[in-house]
Amino acid sequence: MTIAKRKEIKDMNRPRHIRQSKGDIIFNIINYTIFLLITLACLFPFYYLFINTISSNELVRLGRIQLYPMEIHLENYVQVMKIPGIMDALFVSVARTVLGTLWTVAGCAFLGYLVTKQEMWLRKVWYRLIIITMYFSAGLIPWYMNLRNLGFLDNFWVYVIPGLVSPYNVILVKTFIEGLPPSLEESATLDGAGYTRVFISVILPLITPILATLCIFSAVGQWNSFTDTMMLMPSGKNYTLQFLLYKYQREAQSLAALVRNTQDTNALANIATKQTSLSVQMTVAMVVTLPILCVYPFFQRFFVKGIMIGAVKG
Amino acid sequence: MKRRWLPLLTALLAILMLLTPVAKLQVHSSIAPETNVAFPESITLGNIILVGNDAMPVEVEPALGLASMGQWYLLAGLILLAAAALLSLVRRRGMLIASAGVTLVAALMLYAFGQQINNVGNSLLFTLLLEIQAWAWAPLVIAIIQLIVLVVFILKEKDGIDLSDKAWRRLGGLLAILAALCLLLPSHVVSVPETITASPADAAEINRTLSLLDEVLGKEPNLQTIAAEKGVFADVLTGDLAALEPYSGDATNIKGIFVIKTVTTAPNVMMIAGVVLLALALLLSMLPRADRWFAVCCEVLALVLVAGSVIGLMTIGEGDMFTSATRQLSKLGLGTLTFAPLLMLTLVLASALCGVMSIRTANEPYFVNPIPEKQRNRFVAVSLIIISIALMLAPGASYSFTKPGMNKVQTTVAISGAEAMVFSTPEDILSPKSTQGKPLYTETASKTGNLTDAGVAEIMTGTTRSFGIATWVSVAVTLGALLLLLMNKNRKAIIALLLSAAVLRVVTWLLVTLQMPKVMGSATGTMFLYASIPTLVFAAFFAWFANANELPKKYKLFLMMLPFLVAVFLFSYLPLYGWSYAFYNYQFGKPMSEQEFVGLKWFTELITNQGHRDNIVRVMKNTFGMSGLGLLTSWMPMVFAIFLNEITNVRFKKFVQIFTTLPNFISWALVFSFAMAMFAMDTGIFSKFMLGIGAIDQPVAWLNSSEHIWLKMWAWGTWKGLGWGAIMYLAAISGIDQELYEAAQVDGAGRWAKIRYITLPGLLPTFFVLLMLNISNILNNGMDQYLAFQNSMNKNTIEVLDLYVYNITIASGGTTLYSFATAIGILKTIVSVTLLFTANFASKKLRGESIM
Repeated sequence: MTIAKRKEIKDMNRPRHIRQSKGDIIFNIINYTIFLLITLACLFPFYYLFINTISSNELVRLGRIQLYPMEIHLENYVQVMKIPGIMDALFVSVARTVLGTLWTVAGCAFLGYLVTKQEMWLRKVWYRLIIITMYFSAGLIPWYMNLRNLGFLDNFWVYVIPGLVSPYNVILVKTFIEGLPPSLEESATLDGAGYTRVFISVILPLITPILATLCIFSAVGQWNSFTDTMMLMPSGKNYTLQFLLYKYQREAQSLAALVRNTQDTNALANIATKQTSLSVQMTVAMVVTLPILCVYPFFQRFFVKGIMIGAVKG
Repeated sequence: MKRRWLPLLTALLAILMLLTPVAKLQVHSSIAPETNVAFPESITLGNIILVGNDAMPVEVEPALGLASMGQWYLLAGLILLAAAALLSLVRRRGMLIASAGVTLVAALMLYAFGQQINNVGNSLLFTLLLEIQAWAWAPLVIAIIQLIVLVVFILKEKDGIDLSDKAWRRLGGLLAILAALCLLLPSHVVSVPETITASPADAAEINRTLSLLDEVLGKEPNLQTIAAEKGVFADVLTGDLAALEPYSGDATNIKGIFVIKTVTTAPNVMMIAGVVLLALALLLSMLPRADRWFAVCCEVLALVLVAGSVIGLMTIGEGDMFTSATRQLSKLGLGTLTFAPLLMLTLVLASALCGVMSIRTANEPYFVNPIPEKQRNRFVAVSLIIISIALMLAPGASYSFTKPGMNKVQTTVAISGAEAMVFSTPEDILSPKSTQGKPLYTETASKTGNLTDAGVAEIMTGTTRSFGIATWVSVAVTLGALLLLLMNKNRKAIIALLLSAAVLRVVTWLLVTLQMPKVMGSATGTMFLYASIPTLVFAAFFAWFANANELPKKYKLFLMMLPFLVAVFLFSYLPLYGWSYAFYNYQFGKPMSEQEFVGLKWFTELITNQGHRDNIVRVMKNTFGMSGLGLLTSWMPMVFAIFLNEITNVRFKKFVQIFTTLPNFISWALVFSFAMAMFAMDTGIFSKFMLGIGAIDQPVAWLNSSEHIWLKMWAWGTWKGLGWGAIMYLAAISGIDQELYEAAQVDGAGRWAKIRYITLPGLLPTFFVLLMLNISNILNNGMDQYLAFQNSMNKNTIEVLDLYVYNITIASGGTTLYSFATAIGILKTIVSVTLLFTANFASKKLRGESIM
């Protein structure tokens, strides 16, 4: 296809606004304004929290920081890093996100490949047994007691191991693999490759787009999860950042005391950088958000792709 | 990625790591009220390397000088890591492999460090003094990352070492013998300063270096034996050690550890089997005519066995309070594990890799499986049978004794199949002693019956005897099957034997568990006993296909699938067993057989009990209210997508799309942080704004009130989900045929006409499917959001079904309502599934397409 022709096609697709009627102009103004407002409404909380964490804590307490930061300082972030247990929580959060994501994506990718194999013994039965788990759940107490009986209480691996099979992800991978030309796999099989070898050498490189999507969903899910920590870690081990944030929201008062202890009590603390429960809670929230804000723009296109693959199935 | 980034990355991480706190000191305030100030906040890795034990404030607490933090492992591991990173820069053939090898050794060193520091942290003396942080594992994580990167490099650059297959084979054999020689290395060192014992003689008796071989064979005398022979331990605790008791939480543990009666330490069967296999591998790889596949198989099998036992050797757990003297001392916090077991593991691993390489470099087709097809299933069957026999000899029965009239478990003793087979019953089982040094049963009969020492001994002798007989029979049957298999005899007989061995294992389990009277405690099988059953069944499965050309593909695929099915069973189907709680008056901690059966009481209570009924009605109102608001506005994402599609500026469209989906990716805890900041009573921007425009006269507690809570929750839900929900519709819009629009344009249709007659009808199927799914999920509105926003003011109106169940059970700490909550869960699932099938049926009828 020549460049000229491509340009032609592009021009054809572009809506032509040779002359806009008055109605069009009014519609466009309203439409653009509304979407701009919606987008700002989505972004503003992030911005608002951010300016509140970098401004003078005294001004924040008085409610003076509303639209722009004043008396900027980074003491909040420095102090938050010193809270006992926060580095451990960071470690646990990162570890569960990385391990959990790798585990579930690897599992669902291989399982998704296996269930496309028509020759498997009783394939349909097993496939249905797996898929049907998407539609029912035993309920909170049986789920909790089951994990307890399996020895997963207060155990870091509860974040990782139960996530091996996620029916929805399996469906996505299966649908994707079924869309691939079967000839590739056949030629590898003729060369003597077994199932595992075919999967690693042939299938895996081809399904990376869908795996990227699964990775992101799973990583975000792992990073954001806090109710599982709350229920499954009764003795306070393996706390995650998100759970600490939740806990700090609940225990705002006792936290303020904690922070004051870690600060130098002799020196007259500068009132602008003195920690308050609100400042700590907001700063932790910001610390939790930052990783998502950092990676989000780069991976946004993968979500769209993933959703579209899902939509094809639906 | 360029190679030169690797050392930089590792160095950066390693330097960062040196600053991370790995351990925190804590002192009982009752012991030393002032120590809060004197102790540094935490000990970093850097501290540990630079000053070792002195990193700890020995001047404040001399006992801390006793803890061995494994600093040499850490130092060596880090140096090796750096060396490996630098080695990877050398652009010569084979350097990457060498670097990966060094990294592997470094990783093992760092594992040894992490294990040692955790063993110390969990030991009886230091458990309350030191709190070990997860960061102790950070060096290992870095080593593993470096290893992964190196492997990626190796695969990418196809860098390898050129050796012939024969050379690889010999190397494999050599490494195998080196691995076996590791048994002579010291594996466990205990060195106690003379200052803490009553006399230097005591210290000399305590201090010891145990070789791996001794440890594996269990040849080391028990502390009690030494005490009896030389009379030294009677006053061990009269030194400063006694002063440490308060720190250890349970002072009796320290004393109790020295009064444990002689426990004969069972030989480590797994390790011995592994070493035998290593010797076999050496033999096979040196004989020029031997089949090389078998050498590799021996090495790989040895790897599995050695890995299993090394992990056990490196971990000091609760059970070590009852084993050899050295391990008892380690459990106390005075021992150091050496690198020997890990070195052995590394060598076995390297040996196995060399074996694999010898097959790779031989002139065989690339994809060929290591074992010739004809032999493969037979080999697997033989291995499984050997593993099953090993499992039968391993500790199979675990006896927990409780003091008559008390529920708490006082002593737990395990007995191995090997012990039972020679009918030797450990003293602890014959007359179990509690850990506090007092006997559980006395010669005088207790209240509950005739539980005297003699009576217990009689029962326990009977139990171990039947356990031993059952083990003998199952081992004999399995050996018979093995013999027949090796002689290539009738496979039906082999399978019959193996399956009956599996049945015998179940019988063994019953004999173990049923013979012990409830008043004495409970008897259970161990993981080894349970594991032997599936291995026997699988052995039978593979024996069936032994000497067949190949395992049929359909079964091979099924076997690959099996682990996943097991996971699904464990985590999705096994919880369904918990539904039985709904029919009992479930009480925590009791076995199911002792629970009180109440039939449908909890289900009828939903209706008949006034309190429960009121709560359920309230909660259901909230659930339906908030789900209903969501359903009523489920058209919003569609409209959002339609109007977004009308925007012609591509950049603006993308901008809107990116940032309106962002809220979907943050947690509800975070959303609540936003809410707390923006809707704070007097400082939040929302209050300021409302005050500013005069909508309210005085500050309003937006979050701490139950007013319009459904609407507020709906608003936050929409804020979070609107942009995300629209993506599906945008995808659907892009799927609409553009010619339709062009045709409409020609016919003079305007913007609204096109939306009305083309876009909207194109989106309705998607809308319908999502609506149906939403309806079937009406009860499952999750709990994260409501949990985050819940407080005492709005609790009544925010509690949805999921949250209510959580609040009355796990959150309240009580367990009296577990059965009731389970009953609610059952009803909820039934309603949800019914709704889903109804929606699916409706969809099929209306659109001829199912949604599931």
